[in-house]
Amino acid sequence: MKRLNSRHWIFSGLFAIVVITMAANVNLDMRVSPETERMFNYIDSLPTGATVIVSFDHEASSLPEIRPIALALLRHTFSRDLNLIGIALLAEGTGIGYRLMTQTADEYDKTYGIDYVYLGFKPQYIAAILSMGESIPDTYPEDYLGYAYRDHEMLQNIKNYNDIAGVISIADGSLTTHWIEYGASRYNVKVSAAVTAAMMTTYDPYLASGQLHAMFGGLRGAAEYEKLIGIGGSGKRSMLAQSVAHIYVVLLIIVGNIIYFRGRRKDGGSS
Amino acid sequence: MGRRIAQIICFAFGALLFALYFSQHPTARSLNTAVMIDYWQIIFAITLLVGVISFVRINLSNIRRGDNRPYRIISLVGLAVMPILAIIWGIKGNSPFMWMFEYVQVPMQSTVFALLAFFVASASFRGFRARSAPAAVLLTAALLTLTSRSSLEGIVPQFITEAADWVRGNPSMAARRAILIGIGLGSLTTSLRVILGIERTWLGSDK
Repeated sequence: MKRLNSRHWIFSGLFAIVVITMAANVNLDMRVSPETERMFNYIDSLPTGATVIVSFDHEASSLPEIRPIALALLRHTFSRDLNLIGIALLAEGTGIGYRLMTQTADEYDKTYGIDYVYLGFKPQYIAAILSMGESIPDTYPEDYLGYAYRDHEMLQNIKNYNDIAGVISIADGSLTTHWIEYGASRYNVKVSAAVTAAMMTTYDPYLASGQLHAMFGGLRGAAEYEKLIGIGGSGKRSMLAQSVAHIYVVLLIIVGNIIYFRGRRKDGGSS
Repeated sequence: MGRRIAQIICFAFGALLFALYFSQHPTARSLNTAVMIDYWQIIFAITLLVGVISFVRINLSNIRRGDNRPYRIISLVGLAVMPILAIIWGIKGNSPFMWMFEYVQVPMQSTVFALLAFFVASASFRGFRARSAPAAVLLTAALLTLTSRSSLEGIVPQFITEAADWVRGNPSMAARRAILIGIGLGSLTTSLRVILGIERTWLGSDK
């Protein structure tokens, strides 16, 4: 059998600590960050019956991170009796968004067509964002299930962004940028975002400038949001795995550097 | 002559769409809507077709050469099966298409993405060394961010979280802003160069 090298040990170590921690189910508490609180307060401040567009702008690969984020957000919006319009600007987000929306709607006894509608996917996201600013029924003559837009009671008075309280883009990439550049800049619609952790720094300048109204993200953001709405979900549990993985990586960096500096001292600083 | 016609079309549509974007005139707005709802979608459908044809051609020629034959056959079967399922049973609810998407595509993509965690762990041990002052700064920022983005309240001192927030809110944001402004200005100048015919590389060579 081939001898295991350091890389294999590192892989095995990561696998082991994540599995053990998940099995142990340790309860970790965490401070809620101001940005997550801001998003929570924003949703909380919307009047009952306000219509919000939730755009599933993500791909399937990021689902383990997106799912807890989306579920926490949808649970909060449904619990506040907001009317939701679900759309997807990336094809892969279409089916996922529909499942997540119907799942949470069922939890809160919401009725399709009255409390929420899922319009589905529209190709060419820039064109879709711009054309919804002119006319949502022209952009989506039918919903995801094939019913006419005009048949839904909830959509009778929704023509364009003027009738929408805000857009929340659930994204794993740069699609929220297009919502800001075209939706917010051109049509003054209030854009917020729920994004993966890797994308958060990308949107920091937009959040600081006020072009992005609110933002939270990552597994930590999902866990914080779950804490705020008082409903436990997969965010907190996944955060546990992420935390131990982070500690593991921090330790690996420290050990790697100790070995490096010891080796350098031994070589007289030549390496 | 062909290049000249393409350039004229590019200028006409570039200038027209630019004007339509900023105009609030009802005619301009309805024309803008028609372009966005109908024409962009038609162009998108055609580009998709070009992509599919190219994908099939490349894979078929590689299969003939025996280059990664099993993988390429699976790719082509996947390409054929998904539309067939969608055409016969639709793409909604509990259709076979959605089953394939949820139980084949989603787990496969998530798995590939999850593998990154293992490579990051390995790379952090083998490559993330404080070899120079800039590397040490990068390393410190990474350690601060990793620690602060874990749920270790009560274990990790508060100043580490505050330091990580400072890094994210100041140097990181400043760099990001500079990049975004640079991209914006670059996009603007490139678009103007293309519309005005100064930039012609998109037309290909003269041959």
